[in-house]
Amino acid sequence: MTAGERRRLVGSMRPEDAERVPELHEVDVPDDLRERIQSAMSKYPQLRSAAIPALWAVQRHYGWCTPEGMRQAAAVMGVTPAYLESIATFYDLFRTTPVGHRQVLVCHNISCWMRGADDLLRAFCEAAGADPHAADHGGATSEDGEIFVKGFECLGGCDVAPMASIDERYYGPLSPDDARAAVEQLRSGAEVLPDRALGKRQAAGGPEPEPDPRVAATEAGGSG
Amino acid sequence: MASETRVLFRHVDEPGLASIETYRRLGGYRSLERTLKELEPDELLTTLEESGLRGRGGAGFSMGKKASFLPRGDMDKFLCCNADESEPGTFKDRELMQKNPHQLIEGIAIAAIAAGAGWAFIFIRGEYAEMGDVLDRAVEEAYGAGYLGEGILGSACRVEVVVHRGAGAYICGEETALLDSLEGKRGNPRLKPPFPAIQGLYGGPTLINNVETLSNVPHIVANGADWFKGFGTEQSPGTKVVSVSGCVERPGNYEVELGIPSRELIYELAGGPPGGREVKAWFPGGSSAPVLTAAELDLPYSFEAMADAGSMLGSGAIIVADESVSIPQLALRTARFYHHESCGKCTPCREGTNWTVKMLERVISGEATPMDLDIVASVQDNIIGNCLCVLGDSMAMPVGSMVKKFRDEFEAAIEAGKASAPRPLDESAADTRPVALGVS
Amino acid sequence: MAAREDVTLVVDGVEVTAPEGMMLVDAAKHGDVEIPVFCYEPKLGQPVGACRMCLVEVEGIPKLQTACSTPVRDGMVVYTQTDQVKEAQNAVVEFLLVNHPLDCPVCDKGGECPLQDISMGWGPGRSRMIDPKRHFQKPIPLSPLIKIDRERCILCYRCVRFSQEVAEDEQLQLLERSASSYVGTFDDRPYIAPFHGNIIELCPVGALTSDAYRFRARPWDIEDSGTVCTLCPSQCNIKLTVRNERAERVLARDNSAVDDGWLCDKGRFGYQMIASPDRITEPLVRSGGELHPASWEEALEAAAAGLRAAGARTAGIVGGQSSNEEGYLVQRILRRALGSPHVESRATGGLPASQRAGGQGDGGALRQDLIALSLPELGASVRDLDGAESILVLGTDPIHSMPILDLRIRKVVRRNGARLAVATDHPSALDGGAEETARYEPGFAGGFLAALAGELGADGYERADGELGADAERIAGVLKPGSTVIVCGDFEGPPSSLLACARALRAEEDGAGLIEAPDGANGRGLREVGCLPVAGTGLSSVDQGLDASGIGGGLADGGIEAALLLNVDPVRDFGAALGDSLGNAEFVVAASMFENSSTRHADVVLPAEAYAEKEGTVTHPDGRLQRLRQGIPHPGRVRPMWEVLAELSALLGDETGIDSAPEALAAIADEVPFYAGITPEEIGGLGVRWQDREAASRFPRDETGAAGTHGARPQDVPTRGVGTLSLTSPAAPDDAGLLLGTYRDLWAAEATEKSRALRFLLPRQTLELAPADAERLEVEGGDEVEVRSNGSVVRARAAVRERIRPGSGFLIEGLGDAARALRGELADVVKAEASE
Repeated sequence: MTAGERRRLVGSMRPEDAERVPELHEVDVPDDLRERIQSAMSKYPQLRSAAIPALWAVQRHYGWCTPEGMRQAAAVMGVTPAYLESIATFYDLFRTTPVGHRQVLVCHNISCWMRGADDLLRAFCEAAGADPHAADHGGATSEDGEIFVKGFECLGGCDVAPMASIDERYYGPLSPDDARAAVEQLRSGAEVLPDRALGKRQAAGGPEPEPDPRVAATEAGGSG
Repeated sequence: MASETRVLFRHVDEPGLASIETYRRLGGYRSLERTLKELEPDELLTTLEESGLRGRGGAGFSMGKKASFLPRGDMDKFLCCNADESEPGTFKDRELMQKNPHQLIEGIAIAAIAAGAGWAFIFIRGEYAEMGDVLDRAVEEAYGAGYLGEGILGSACRVEVVVHRGAGAYICGEETALLDSLEGKRGNPRLKPPFPAIQGLYGGPTLINNVETLSNVPHIVANGADWFKGFGTEQSPGTKVVSVSGCVERPGNYEVELGIPSRELIYELAGGPPGGREVKAWFPGGSSAPVLTAAELDLPYSFEAMADAGSMLGSGAIIVADESVSIPQLALRTARFYHHESCGKCTPCREGTNWTVKMLERVISGEATPMDLDIVASVQDNIIGNCLCVLGDSMAMPVGSMVKKFRDEFEAAIEAGKASAPRPLDESAADTRPVALGVS
Repeated sequence: MAAREDVTLVVDGVEVTAPEGMMLVDAAKHGDVEIPVFCYEPKLGQPVGACRMCLVEVEGIPKLQTACSTPVRDGMVVYTQTDQVKEAQNAVVEFLLVNHPLDCPVCDKGGECPLQDISMGWGPGRSRMIDPKRHFQKPIPLSPLIKIDRERCILCYRCVRFSQEVAEDEQLQLLERSASSYVGTFDDRPYIAPFHGNIIELCPVGALTSDAYRFRARPWDIEDSGTVCTLCPSQCNIKLTVRNERAERVLARDNSAVDDGWLCDKGRFGYQMIASPDRITEPLVRSGGELHPASWEEALEAAAAGLRAAGARTAGIVGGQSSNEEGYLVQRILRRALGSPHVESRATGGLPASQRAGGQGDGGALRQDLIALSLPELGASVRDLDGAESILVLGTDPIHSMPILDLRIRKVVRRNGARLAVATDHPSALDGGAEETARYEPGFAGGFLAALAGELGADGYERADGELGADAERIAGVLKPGSTVIVCGDFEGPPSSLLACARALRAEEDGAGLIEAPDGANGRGLREVGCLPVAGTGLSSVDQGLDASGIGGGLADGGIEAALLLNVDPVRDFGAALGDSLGNAEFVVAASMFENSSTRHADVVLPAEAYAEKEGTVTHPDGRLQRLRQGIPHPGRVRPMWEVLAELSALLGDETGIDSAPEALAAIADEVPFYAGITPEEIGGLGVRWQDREAASRFPRDETGAAGTHGARPQDVPTRGVGTLSLTSPAAPDDAGLLLGTYRDLWAAEATEKSRALRFLLPRQTLELAPADAERLEVEGGDEVEVRSNGSVVRARAAVRERIRPGSGFLIEGLGDAARALRGELADVVKAEASE
């Protein structure tokens, strides 16, 4: 910023540009968004606990936490938009810039890294057409604007390493071929990697061994 | 041949276990009924304390003792279930919640009654959207069946349960950061004291327990403290769900009695490193634990043995690195994680993790000297013990242990990096042009 | 509050005594041990332990502890110099410098920078960091008044804590996480809030700098000079940064009895008006229709001649910024030298228009009311707010009338859990923190007070019905008798209902009471030194003179021929009517810093002093006498005003014998019985409340019985502008206009106009109205409207506000238009033709 630009910026600042708590009549909150936020506010003893749920609602409604969406949520909650932005930027799952509406988070933490996460992330990026360096440094959206790919810290799916969270569901272990298939499926609207879904996986130790006698003795007790 | 001892994971793959019907058919919610009919809160607390159940989230503090710290009286008290499982290598709570959510909810209801808490929050990490949905359904079922809400099973007890999804921040697993986050703030850890048991959520006394800890509660109530002490070791009673990952044939969760030899866990249950390779280093308790070497594989897997070895059992997550893994690269990955996850509140953690990453990057690109390794080690020492919470230490301890135990490999990496063509650094890091000074 | 017991601890081998529970970092100072800190600042609330600079060793605890958050216990043994502590301190300093650019040579903070000092005192003295530091665009404007340099920021959280926990504007936040965290605002909007300048002083590095002060001075070529800001009744204690005989900066001079060490932006940046090129710096005398420079001798002789000719037909108006000495001398000139009783210093107060007879009220009763309101046992101190269990904010919005009280009240509510009730016509900035809020019709304070008095069970008052009664009940429910501080404004109308409320709330008890935020900065002092038409020095009995509107009328009908105006802009402070009437005067003497409506018709203009140039005293609304000390020399031919007035008095035949500012104070102390014996030395740097001095016993208690029972009875509650008082408020018919109120905006002030940095804050005339009325009148926010009533027209921009009471509208006073004349009127609102 040059001194001249700075002077112009200062000259353009007006008291009303400061973002105070917006009043409801100043924003146009979509009804369903307002209802979701209000319902979240009613669930907690103190309304600010609804900040994260409110931002989730904004993100689901607009695809990312848009400034206008945050203003709307701020008006419903009676807080400043700055407060919500401070929350939104603290947490990794909130986006404060536009991103693709399909979302692939590839774990690049140690357990997945040791099992090929870097190759997997690269494969997702190549298949989607997203910049791999950017994807591993905050996330990148495919050139067609559809798919958001991001290298992510440990997602807690190390048993299926290397793995990814695709539209909030876990899949693994994934090969670069799986990545290509998944991107294809995301584009075509088909079910994503049905045989790699974590939800369908059995316990790692296999079928239940004979219950330990101390456990078997409690047949009727506890949860079993 | 080592085998699992499944208590929490019993019936884990029973179809429909996540539904209230199946859970009840298998004996579920009887402990809650018993709690309401037969036990006074004080008796409950005594049972929990006598069982010796230690927190399964990482610190390993006695659960019953923690609950007994809450003041008695009429003030609003809270229970928080820490389901923010984010420690790299840890995924046990995920499977417990996904497959047996009612076991957790029953544990929460009992613990809340014991603590006199009218509100319970399950703080689940936002990434676990799928498990959050499972919990939402289960909580709804439990309300429908009268196990939650006003007047549980016709008693005067009230426990409201809210499933609260986080939004992606490792630090929220730290209990006071979890409270700040739940209050709608940035997830920054708080100064202690005051401890949450005295002044926690919304300023009220708050009991915070991990998913696995709370999942144990129905079993202890059903079978008694002595029964529980029949598992594991004297100081680490009970079973433990251990997440094993990294370079092993069968990564996954294994429920074992504490005290089992570590080698059995890694080699027999999880199948050991693939391709017949050998273990080079292993984290016994998530990536925050100082690494151990192959020489330490025969130690019993328990809170006390791991502490004696200079590491910790932590969340009960074993991450195995075999011979094929570069330790300097492992150190960098580890450091990057903590650098990314530092909340930024306190100086040593914020700047120490940041600086460590920069130095390790230079080690790997060959732009370092062995003297830099001394600085890396000294920076870790400067972090340890000086931070507001344990996150800084959680990087400094494993990274420090790697530099100490594998220094040759770091020196070799420096040499190798120098030998090969220097890799360009990140654009931002490469920008060393003089900065225009701020004179307007 | 019971004092904490003292405990004894040992710090570095030295036995130290400190109150139990005090933080170690503060207790160590009792043993002359300094523990370095960055984030610790008790004014910001609970310690956060973020910077880790204050780590110390406490015997028996293996880990180092943060001294900022460790309360002292008896027998504690603390070490701050051990190797372990030194290593930690070195480590923290080294970490802080990992990302801090060492651009000290071009940094405004250099030389007065805690980071420099602490690096020097506690740092390792060498750097091992060779990696690149983080980069930001810099410096960029955070607001028109503050530049932010994010590279220098050490993320100590002080500024964001101020925004969140002190000012509670919550515009300034920490964004992002970890080492990428930075301080910023929503969507990069400017941070504009009335107290935001405080973050400059809080910043321990050069990350937040004052745009107005940047590169103006180095710390080694400046001098500090302590005085008091007289731009509003807060009377905050300030420190002027003086370089080359110019005031270049204003800093807080922490006085917990007054300001808690905070300043509003008007006080912080308003010093620019002192060196404004618009200043009048020499005496002017009118000849041939024009004002021409004159010698002081000529000017004073001309002034004396003109005033002598008018004699008792002279009126004096003293502006709120005047010191006690100036006010005393003006009223003395009027009363003794000219024999005129017409001295006025306040725009509001006295009887409502309907009860005035030709500008005259029942002087005796008004004086009794004043006495009743000023009774020492009824007055609360600013400090009393700290211990109050409940606070009632009544008919005023401190953010505009006495800004520093806004922060004080927020603090007490947030930290001490005091319960707050707000009852106002105009929405208050404190509404958000209030447990109960009542919004009555504009100008209806008296009616609300009567209802509240009824609700509180005051003798002779009845509970009101309907909405008013319900509102009063809600407000009363928050207030705890014996521990309530009432903060109120200057009311129209008699204070009998206010007094009844105060008594019902047992305001005379310790820690309870009343603080009245007057319109003028030194409103209370001027009142007590005799600048009112109904009371003389020390609220003594006098022949009653004309009040402001009476003077206006007198000028119009010839009853008043001359005016002596001191530090007043009649149009801004009293409304256009008085300003216009000055055109009828035979002779006007105006002492003023700037050309304004007082000089427009003046025959003699005397250049007035700015507060930074004055010697004298002022009286805080809570009765604290404070000293103004001259920090910079007078510009041009400006002279001390007390001296000028004393000479004028002598020329008019009353030789005062006053040859210095302290002698002027001595003269006041002789005549104001409850100021008796007070001296500048006794007032000192922090001031003294006259109520706390022995002479308070000489306060003129009512000779006729219980004070304040004169004046109106409950049934005489003031009328609204239209018709008779209705206690219920029926819905407005579709064609009805708005019942108008006005308020004095913080920024509708000369200081805003004359300080370059503040000019952007000068408000545009705005009509605030409720959403329902906006819909009914088909007006949208941002529309240009004309507000009309009784032949007065004000052009304004409409602003829709949820918290405006339906049926009411508000305009800003002090902008030089006819807004003040519309107070209490039922006005029509029409969209204006678009202007260019």
